Amino acid sequence: MSLFRIFINQDDDDDDMATSKKVITREEWEKKLNAVKLRKQDMNTLVMNFLVTEGYVDAAAKFQRESGTKQTAEIDLATITDRMAVKKAVQNGHVEDAIEKVNDLNPEILDTNPELFFHLQQQRLIELIRQGKTEEALEFAQEELAPRGEENQAFLQELEKTVALLVFEDASNSPVKDLLDISHRLKTASEVNAAILTSQSHEKDPKLPSLLKMLIWAQNQLDEKAVYPHINDLSTGQLEDPPE
Amino acid sequence: MPTTTTSSSSFSSAASSSGNRQADVFSRLASSDPEVKLKALREVKNQIIGNRTKKLSFLKLGAVPAIASALSDSECNSILVQSAAALGSFACGFEAGVQAVLGAGAFPALLRLLTSSDEKVVDAGARSLRMIFQSNQAPKYDFLQEKNMEFLFSLLNSENENVSGLGASIIAHACGTTVEQQVLCDAGVLEKLVILLEGSLSQREACLESLATVLKNNPEAVSRFVGLEAGRYLSSVTELTKDRYPRTRLLSCLCLVVIYNTSPSYFLNMGTKSSLVTTLLELLNDPGQSGDDAALGLSSLIAEKEDLQKLAYEANAIKNIVDILKTGSELHPKRLQGLFLSLAELCSKLEDCRCSFLSLEMLDLLVNALRHKNADVRTAACICFRNAARSVKNLSAGRFTNDHVMLPLVQLLHDPSSSVQVAVLGALSNIVLDFSSPKSTFIEYGGIKQLIELSKSMDPNTRCSALRALRNLMFLADKKRKELFYSEVKAQGFVSLISDPEPTVQEQGLALLRNLVDGCINSIEFVFDEEGLILDTVGRQLRKSPQAQMAIQGMYVLTNVASGTELHKEAVMQQLFPQPQAESNNFMLKFLQSHESQLRSATVWTIINLISPSSPGALDRHVKLREEGIIPQLKNMVNDACLDVKIRIRTVLSQSMSFGDN
Repeated sequence: MSLFRIFINQDDDDDDMATSKKVITREEWEKKLNAVKLRKQDMNTLVMNFLVTEGYVDAAAKFQRESGTKQTAEIDLATITDRMAVKKAVQNGHVEDAIEKVNDLNPEILDTNPELFFHLQQQRLIELIRQGKTEEALEFAQEELAPRGEENQAFLQELEKTVALLVFEDASNSPVKDLLDISHRLKTASEVNAAILTSQSHEKDPKLPSLLKMLIWAQNQLDEKAVYPHINDLSTGQLEDPPE
Repeated sequence: MPTTTTSSSSFSSAASSSGNRQADVFSRLASSDPEVKLKALREVKNQIIGNRTKKLSFLKLGAVPAIASALSDSECNSILVQSAAALGSFACGFEAGVQAVLGAGAFPALLRLLTSSDEKVVDAGARSLRMIFQSNQAPKYDFLQEKNMEFLFSLLNSENENVSGLGASIIAHACGTTVEQQVLCDAGVLEKLVILLEGSLSQREACLESLATVLKNNPEAVSRFVGLEAGRYLSSVTELTKDRYPRTRLLSCLCLVVIYNTSPSYFLNMGTKSSLVTTLLELLNDPGQSGDDAALGLSSLIAEKEDLQKLAYEANAIKNIVDILKTGSELHPKRLQGLFLSLAELCSKLEDCRCSFLSLEMLDLLVNALRHKNADVRTAACICFRNAARSVKNLSAGRFTNDHVMLPLVQLLHDPSSSVQVAVLGALSNIVLDFSSPKSTFIEYGGIKQLIELSKSMDPNTRCSALRALRNLMFLADKKRKELFYSEVKAQGFVSLISDPEPTVQEQGLALLRNLVDGCINSIEFVFDEEGLILDTVGRQLRKSPQAQMAIQGMYVLTNVASGTELHKEAVMQQLFPQPQAESNNFMLKFLQSHESQLRSATVWTIINLISPSSPGALDRHVKLREEGIIPQLKNMVNDACLDVKIRIRTVLSQSMSFGDN
């Protein structure tokens, strides 16, 4: 009986990474992709979801007609118009108008969202300062913003920062000048938009970005095990051959 | 109309100009011109939404009755919508507002809006009513009346999300008794509610809240719910604990807590229990109302359940909660209460928890909480102290008996709230059991006097708790302490305690007496003060067929007295067999036949002491006991089910034999 058996079958993965991964050619890959069945209506729903969430009313309405996609139970195209009006008002700096519109849409939103309400009032103050209406701004700060700080300690820090705008001669060169930036309007607009969507039980983010993120993640995962054609440009979705 | 000043920017002018603007809007509310009125209503609404300060100032102006009459008097849909929305906003999370709205008689007018043909009017009415029903001041809803049930179900059946949500809200906040729960279940409310579970976000949340209310402490309702479609909806609720929205996660957790507390058998799976605990722990970090509710939910879940307390401890609950408490920001009283109660539950049985908790330098925070303006927070902090003080190791290390802790606790004995008093008495009861220190800080602070004062409180719970604390204070106490105590109470005081109308208070009083006369022989003299007034009272109470717990303590008093001198033993015999006995009121026999083993045991102990052979009169007493049928009864009990009793009886019988009795 042989007492020696030498095992030669030593696998050392670190040495040959490139060749131990499975290689899939473009042809094979495309064949596999074609074998995956997708439903047209799923894609239509995705597009519809994107258009609705982002607020493209006319596009959504036309697409719905042309594709025959069923209206999702959660959202009524009519309410998109209202929501977009609010978003636009904030983006243009007409905050008081936006507040009135939100209250017409659903009075509960601002009553149950103290942080959002504070941010809208804050934006109002910023717009008054931007317009150079210093006295009105002071009055507004004292009458409308200060009570928010009293009602809720969490807002005090931001409140102080905002009121600091009033202190500087030239606010646009002060340490708090970010507040005057247009991007701050967009931030507030986005916040209002999300709140309205939530109140309508609609998810505030469209599905499409999540799918694309999933694609990138999946490719990263697969990279550890295989060599295959990638989609590197999401906007075109072109397959690029695997590196040699 | 007063003009507003614009040139000066002083604060006072800002305040007065805003006040003037408000008064101006207010006056336009009463206008007969519908367009002016509508504009004014809209203005008020837009000013108060989200703005608690404005709600208060408009309230003071008397805006609510004005808006309520606009609501009742108008037929115009726009006016109805705006006035309903304004009233709803006043009622939103603002108790004074709810009171004003109800006081202005707006409730019936709002109800009428639900039958409008205009969807916006229905929405406005439903929303406002829902705000009202979320308040404690909502009108009582009589579920037992048939037409009310019909109305409720018409709401639940509605396609309109706000209306069905209102139906669920009414159930969530107005259903209180088991009878109401039963009536609702019989009418099929569970089947209706679970439909909402698969609806929109607000419908799901309303459903979860109302389910919790209907199922609470009602095993039949729970089994009905779980039985629906073979447990499908229980699974749905469990799934929702992982939902993206924190409030949904919270409400589904609270629902599961209710089900678990009512019928734990549906939660045999350890995994579900564990994830319930961890989800609630995560939710504690939510800054809003969900976090507040999560804290109370957690304390309710782990209450009395050692296995869950262990799970929570292993999931790092103590450190998490302490971190939240230490953040320094002002936490909502409800959240503080929930967090302290959770800590209290964690420390209730597990020594590891107590040591872990006390090692985290929490005492300062806890002491501060004793001074919180909210009574529930003070109560919760006291309960926390009580449970932490169960740690003998930390107690004898003097952690609780220093001035820093003791003084605020003693001060709470004067607290206006009786629940705080009871809670601090519980804490002190444990803390006074610290034998490591020769002197007692508590007594130095005049604690005895205060406890005696509280033993005369109107509230029976307070009396009971005060006596329990005194009982612990007298446990193994030295002569000096006992005399100090007795001098404050005297015989007559004791008699009142033992004759208290509440049985639980009597029991504590007798237990206190037992500890008082325990120990050195001189202590027994207390019961003979004023011609044996106390001993007579004890005897009298025992002859009155008392409850078992009271009888146990009473017999132990007699046992302790009978451990003394010959005179003491004879006095006990007098109480046991007073002459002349009107009817055969041999309570000793009854006690020996009791189902309570402790009572049998205590009675046998008394006998052991009475006939202990070392005393001269033992033989005569033995004869008497035999005549009264006591010794024969004991012979029947040689195989008593309780080991302790059995052993004591053997002792008696061997003593008996030494008197030449077979």
